[in-house]
Amino acid sequence: MISRRSLVVARISRQLLLTDPASTIMMVVMPLILAPFLAPAAKAQLQLAGYPAASGGDQIIPGLAVLFAFLSTQLVGTLFFREHAWGTWNRLRASPASTADIVLGKVAPLYVAQLLELGVLLSAGWLLFGYRPNGSVLALALVVATFAAMLVAFGVMLVALFSSMDMALVLGGLGGMVMAGLGGALAPVSSLPSWAQVAAHFSPAYWALNAMRSITLDQAGLVDVAGSIGVLLLFGVGFSAVVAWRFRPAAVKIGTT
Amino acid sequence: MPQATIPLRLYVVVVLYDVVSAYIVDSDPVLRVSGVTMAYGENQVLRGIDLEVAAGQILGLVGANGAGKTTLISIVTGLLPCDRGSVAVAGIDALAHPKRAARYLGLAPQELGIYPTLTARENLYDFARLAGLDSRAARTRTLEVAELLGLTDQLGLRGDQLSGGQKRRLHTAMAILHRPQLLLLDEPTVGADVTSRAGILKIVRAMATEGTAVLYTTHYLTELEQLDAEIAVLDGGVIAVHGSCREVVQRWGRASVVLRFTGPAPELEGWTANGSRLTPTHPVTDPGAAAAAALVALGPQVTRLVGLDVARPSLESAYLAITGHVFSEEAGSDLAA
Ligand SMILES: Nc1ncnc2c1ncn2[C@@H]1O[C@H](COP(=O)(O)OP(=O)(O)OP(=O)(O)O)[C@@H](O)[C@H]1O
Ligand SMILES: [Mg+2]
Repeated sequence: MISRRSLVVARISRQLLLTDPASTIMMVVMPLILAPFLAPAAKAQLQLAGYPAASGGDQIIPGLAVLFAFLSTQLVGTLFFREHAWGTWNRLRASPASTADIVLGKVAPLYVAQLLELGVLLSAGWLLFGYRPNGSVLALALVVATFAAMLVAFGVMLVALFSSMDMALVLGGLGGMVMAGLGGALAPVSSLPSWAQVAAHFSPAYWALNAMRSITLDQAGLVDVAGSIGVLLLFGVGFSAVVAWRFRPAAVKIGTT
Repeated sequence: MPQATIPLRLYVVVVLYDVVSAYIVDSDPVLRVSGVTMAYGENQVLRGIDLEVAAGQILGLVGANGAGKTTLISIVTGLLPCDRGSVAVAGIDALAHPKRAARYLGLAPQELGIYPTLTARENLYDFARLAGLDSRAARTRTLEVAELLGLTDQLGLRGDQLSGGQKRRLHTAMAILHRPQLLLLDEPTVGADVTSRAGILKIVRAMATEGTAVLYTTHYLTELEQLDAEIAVLDGGVIAVHGSCREVVQRWGRASVVLRFTGPAPELEGWTANGSRLTPTHPVTDPGAAAAAALVALGPQVTRLVGLDVARPSLESAYLAITGHVFSEEAGSDLAA
């Protein structure tokens, strides 16, 4: 059940997000700038892989979406650490809102922002780069929704694990890039060395891209991607478990404004 | 019918018990701290704090930097766990149920806590909502409290566009939106100008008159005299002295009289010479009378008198006496020279 107080925290979090939209916009604009440069090579690669009708967008749009979604988890960290730098974290804590109210309230708008980013990017890919998810749109929506939720949990886990904002952002960014790369965001997993193909299974990006790829190229439906969604959920639950285990509201966190 | 068989005597006892316990609950202090101890690692900051603040009372908590004032406030507000002891806020066990207790308290922490990217209005409104006010009440209170703290013209400015003193006032305003039963102000007047400071004191007094229990820390002791606060001196991890402002000043305050001369100070019975200055050898209760008596006793020497400083016993002198940092005459004469 969502408490009234967590709605108030969500309201604050949304205001903060809206007063500082630059990074959210960047996360949508940057992949769209990169896409035309990557599209031709991706198209050739897909044709070699046996998809003559595929566009370059079919490979790079989901790939860039996943990569930049990982990078935008930094926003989760930023919004938490800033509360510490601003002195507002203790104010929230001294209010009647519980820790769960505060954390859920804070991340709710971030989740919506993450969904919007992914939605805008996929739509722009469809419009501009020939991205055509031919399978079930519902399945695609579920994959995206689960993936975004998993990412928010990943972002909060970074906050729980690190006491300095720089550390959380740097390691989160690097970790995100490794996971996205391994998962096939930059090149299909089948083109990676064999050890990387094995390691890819431990990256949530792999499961997200696997599902999106089969929806795009193999007309997959909900049943076909249910397994991938399940694995994404597991990752999300795993990250959330780390949060529940390690998140200390009283911990001293060093953030910058 | 079992109820009918209750003996009259037992019934009277039960009724009496109800009356008495209702009275006790009513007269419960809004804040009761007992036996609170707290250490940061090896650093034993609080060694058994007992405190009460009743409705309508202002308790000035004073103590040196690092004495543990903020630590105590953090424990009361559930921000920090304590090692031992108990805290009750409005009759609620605040250590066991910090979130229930939180509804009754308003905190303006020592560290500024406002959203710099949101407007003053948004800061106030959001925290009013968080404290439990509905949207309408929150809007009304935002305007009222802004008016109280002289922020009406700044409501549309972002937190980072406010001046230092305005930020501090906004920060304080955010603590009183929901008219808490217990108001905790940790150095609310730091950085506030003379007018702002007077304004903050006025609000504190008004809230106490309305029945709010106020715990107030400051390093400006005259503020506590102006508030006519109860004083609790935190020293060495315990409340070293507790009493009304007047009691503390009477018991611990030192009056001071200094007579200054051209050339070396003359000898005078009951007075100690120190260079060109004379000060009473023993503490005096009425500095004005002591000075007058000295003038008479000086006789012709009075022509060499160039200055006369008289200070009534103040909270500051009492505080210095309590904490053992008694003002040293030598250091004083160096400064005067
Ligand atoms: N997070 C912390 N970790 C370790 N020690 C701390 C911490 N916070 C405070 N202390 C120590 O506890 C003691 C009391 O600090 P506190 O902030 O309660 O003092 P204070 O009375 O509020 O002082 P001031 O008047 O300077 O605000 C100090 O010695 C301080 O160094
Ligand atoms: Mg302090």
